[in-house]
Amino acid sequence: MFLRLGQCSHLRCSLRYRAFHSYRGVQEDSRWPGYQVIIGIETHAQIKSRHKLFSNALTSEPSDSTNDHVVVFDAAFPGTLPKLNPNCVDLAIRTALALKSNIQKSSSFDRKHYFYSDLPSGYQITQQYAPIATNGYLQIPSPNLSSEPIQVRIKQIQLEQDTAKSTFNPRTLTSQIDLNRAGTGLMEIVTLPDLRSPEEAGAYVRTLQALLRAVGSSDGNMEQGSLRCDVNVSVNRIGQPPGTRCEIKNLNSVRFMMAAITHETQRQLKLLAESPFTVPQETRGFNEDTFETFKLRSKEDAPDYRYMPDPNLGVLSISEARIAEVKAKLPELPWQMRDRLKSIYGLSDKDTEVLMKIETVKDVPFDGRIVGTGGSAVDYFDALCESQKRDPKIVFNWLGNELLGQLTSKKASFTENPINSDQLGQLIDMVQDGTLTGTSGKYLLRHLLSNPSGKTARDLAEELQLVAFTSGTANPTASPSSPASSELDSLVQDAITALPKEVAAYKSGHQGVLNKIVGWVIKQSRGRADAKTVRIELERVLKQ
Amino acid sequence: MRRNVNLTCLSSVPRRYASTLAERNRASNALIYLNKPQEKAQKEGQLSGLKIAIKDNIVTRDSPTTCSSAILRNFVSPFDATVVDKLHDSGAEIIGKANCDEFGMGSLNTYSIHGPVINPFAASQDASNQERRSAGGSSGGSAAAVAAGLCDAALGTDTGGSVRLPASYCGVIGLKPSYGLVSRWGVVSYADSLDCVGVLAKDVDTTSSVFNTITGYDTKDPTSALPGIRDAASTYCNSRLEQLESSLKEGRLDGLKIGIPQEFFPQELSESVIHRFRQSVKLLKERGASIVPVSLPATSYSLSAYYVLASAEASSNMARYDGIQYGERVASTDPEDLKKVASVYARTRSANFGPEVQRRILLGTYALTADAFDNYFLQAQRVRQLVKNDFNNVFSMPNVNESGRSVSTESVQKVDVLLHPSAIGAAPLLDEAKSADFALDSYVQDVLTVPASLAGLPALSVPCLSTDSKPDSRLEWPIGVSIVGQWGADRLVLAVGKALETATRITT
Repeated sequence: MFLRLGQCSHLRCSLRYRAFHSYRGVQEDSRWPGYQVIIGIETHAQIKSRHKLFSNALTSEPSDSTNDHVVVFDAAFPGTLPKLNPNCVDLAIRTALALKSNIQKSSSFDRKHYFYSDLPSGYQITQQYAPIATNGYLQIPSPNLSSEPIQVRIKQIQLEQDTAKSTFNPRTLTSQIDLNRAGTGLMEIVTLPDLRSPEEAGAYVRTLQALLRAVGSSDGNMEQGSLRCDVNVSVNRIGQPPGTRCEIKNLNSVRFMMAAITHETQRQLKLLAESPFTVPQETRGFNEDTFETFKLRSKEDAPDYRYMPDPNLGVLSISEARIAEVKAKLPELPWQMRDRLKSIYGLSDKDTEVLMKIETVKDVPFDGRIVGTGGSAVDYFDALCESQKRDPKIVFNWLGNELLGQLTSKKASFTENPINSDQLGQLIDMVQDGTLTGTSGKYLLRHLLSNPSGKTARDLAEELQLVAFTSGTANPTASPSSPASSELDSLVQDAITALPKEVAAYKSGHQGVLNKIVGWVIKQSRGRADAKTVRIELERVLKQ
Repeated sequence: MRRNVNLTCLSSVPRRYASTLAERNRASNALIYLNKPQEKAQKEGQLSGLKIAIKDNIVTRDSPTTCSSAILRNFVSPFDATVVDKLHDSGAEIIGKANCDEFGMGSLNTYSIHGPVINPFAASQDASNQERRSAGGSSGGSAAAVAAGLCDAALGTDTGGSVRLPASYCGVIGLKPSYGLVSRWGVVSYADSLDCVGVLAKDVDTTSSVFNTITGYDTKDPTSALPGIRDAASTYCNSRLEQLESSLKEGRLDGLKIGIPQEFFPQELSESVIHRFRQSVKLLKERGASIVPVSLPATSYSLSAYYVLASAEASSNMARYDGIQYGERVASTDPEDLKKVASVYARTRSANFGPEVQRRILLGTYALTADAFDNYFLQAQRVRQLVKNDFNNVFSMPNVNESGRSVSTESVQKVDVLLHPSAIGAAPLLDEAKSADFALDSYVQDVLTVPASLAGLPALSVPCLSTDSKPDSRLEWPIGVSIVGQWGADRLVLAVGKALETATRITT
């Protein structure tokens, strides 16, 4: 039955082709006036699961030694059978929810056949006829910042196996096969042709990367190959039907992808200038040295993959209850977080971006595990604000400016921040209630960064004798006989003794001289005394 | 100790043992690898003392698994199939590996690098009757090993009749259980949606005890029936057996309804088969069973559908034998060939796959091409559903494995089991099988067995009474009758088989 549906959807696509074209209206580009570029992207994202898609072998990091994480199924031993890893399915559901897709109650797996040395079984298990999710969208910022965000439609998300890694040695003319990657779960995320420039394509992939990391379904690392893109590019004269598309395979950085699209556009423009409708349908590669695309094969050479429903895996049924369960555990999505920071805490656009851009979780955890709060900068910020008890703007100032500034000057990342949110929170509170001066607060922050400690900020402030001096009159709540207060009294007395000329000048009416005496006291207090309190105290004593 | 694999095969077997088993094996060529005789006593278990042979497409760690193919000539699996583990655990002694058609593809056990299996039935007849006949396939070695008395039971595999057909030709019991009841982990796939591990034995009781040992839910097999579904089927099956219990105890079948599907008597069916099938029906009727004619109208399309689906899956499953991981690579002498990756695969596969496997790969590859997929593969899948619906319409027990399928409300007579001949004739002569136009003819051998395979139903072949009244020697060769039940009614099928076996023996 699914097969029939699959075919119907092919038919629907061709009927809707006109709709693809008009979906975004005409986008004029000054680089190629009179022409329009239409781009669609297929992204392969490795699923961040501890285990492979159909076997219990561990997934691998690029640093793992070769052929270490292989079980008999991965090597296609005769008599082995696949077993679907439910964690991969849950992570695909997370992704589908984040991409506002329709999760299919039943989907199925198909075999895609071709002979290649990196494919031990001779087929890849994928979801050709009935993918796990369809019809979603992703909103991306327009590269032209003044414009409205762009809604990119997601045609489908499908689960499939990654291949082994083949390394060709040109000297010995041999290929070496590493099966570590063979059978790792991938999500293929396919857009409709809704993108109109290399920059939009770049924005799409970056937004998708951030999204996958936020939901924990992939670490989206293009350099390490856990995210790869195939891009379809066609060029047409404005007002004319869409041009013939060429597919550029296996792009592994946003920069290369944008360069490939730019080159491919210009190549097709040249062909179109010679005579219209002359772009042959091709699959192309990208040369990372010359920044040019090159022909891999023409449409006529396109292989027939002989898709066949996998006879072992049957129907993948996903209940409403399972979707609800995944939804309940879905981490906050980037745009939800952005809205919340702005509306609940009243942060500015700029501050929100600063906070969200702080690189926090270095590694996306496996199998969608949620790291405890405090993991990300936003979690840290949330903890500090403690449901609005502290002023978010003051908290942001301490976190975004002071803490981050100090970490940056130490060339440390936020993940290396040794100060927990309780310590920083108490520090902020002490500055706010006058227990610490701003200067002492910053000193304590630097001290904690250099000498990480489990002690509370208050204990440390006292230990380091940072607690601000208070005077009976300036701070009626503090007891006049408190040690800090008496220390201020004695410092004031010291100042009078040390600066007799200035005292005399003040007494004879030179008001301005008082600043010098205040400065002397503050210096002697090592920042513990604040100027206002010292001035009041000095005035009081000198009037006597 | 089981890790020590000796590839030198028969020559390394101790002399005394060899003189018994290897010599007795020589006439039939049923076994292709003999395990060293067990020095230590086996584990105590349900099958203690039972000697069992394993079809060579079921993987074993302590002996090679060649699938009778040149491409796996030297292959030794690093793990045991689940069924092999279960046999070890139950105390059975595994004596060796049984010959078969290459990867289970064939109906006569002639497509084997180990040579054809010769039906041992001749040997037990008088010396003048020395025709060389086929043991049937693809589990011909398993059936012949049992028939020749080399073992008490053997595991076979049945994709479209590969257990029932050789059982019929060799005159032994052959059970193809319900699809999903016996784990396929370690069974080298030919067509996953049809492959079943089956049991061949001298009698129904042995068949039952081996089946009871190897059945069970296995998490390693995604098509293994879940415990809940097994329980549901058992509940229906057991309640029916309880109703029949009192008469079964007395060797009677009062209350049992047996359907005879009218479409299972094609033109190709030989006279003697019809004659002996009638005798079996008579025996069952005499014991109180009521015989009901039924119709399974989709039967005539099932053979074509089967060959499209089985070949398509075969073309997919054979893809891994490419000379890169499995199979000895055949190097080309033509330097032009080295430039094309395809020729590396083509040479190895052309040299190492036998004619029948190549034929099915080509047929299946075509059925899966974009242009043919709709008219062949999808059409065959639709036929398969019609075949399933036909069976569901005639059985009184519901199919617990087919959720949500509407069963026709037509008021047809519902039956407990179906009965039909296992094969269109007795074992063909091996010389006949060699003729070129026999390749397609041999597909017709499966016409009666594929419907149950397509529907995943339990089917048991039991030898018919031999006809001694006619002088034609051809009639003396064994012929089987098949009992087919609803999905999960394996115990009911075995109970009816037991009654038929008893009735046949008493009469003989």
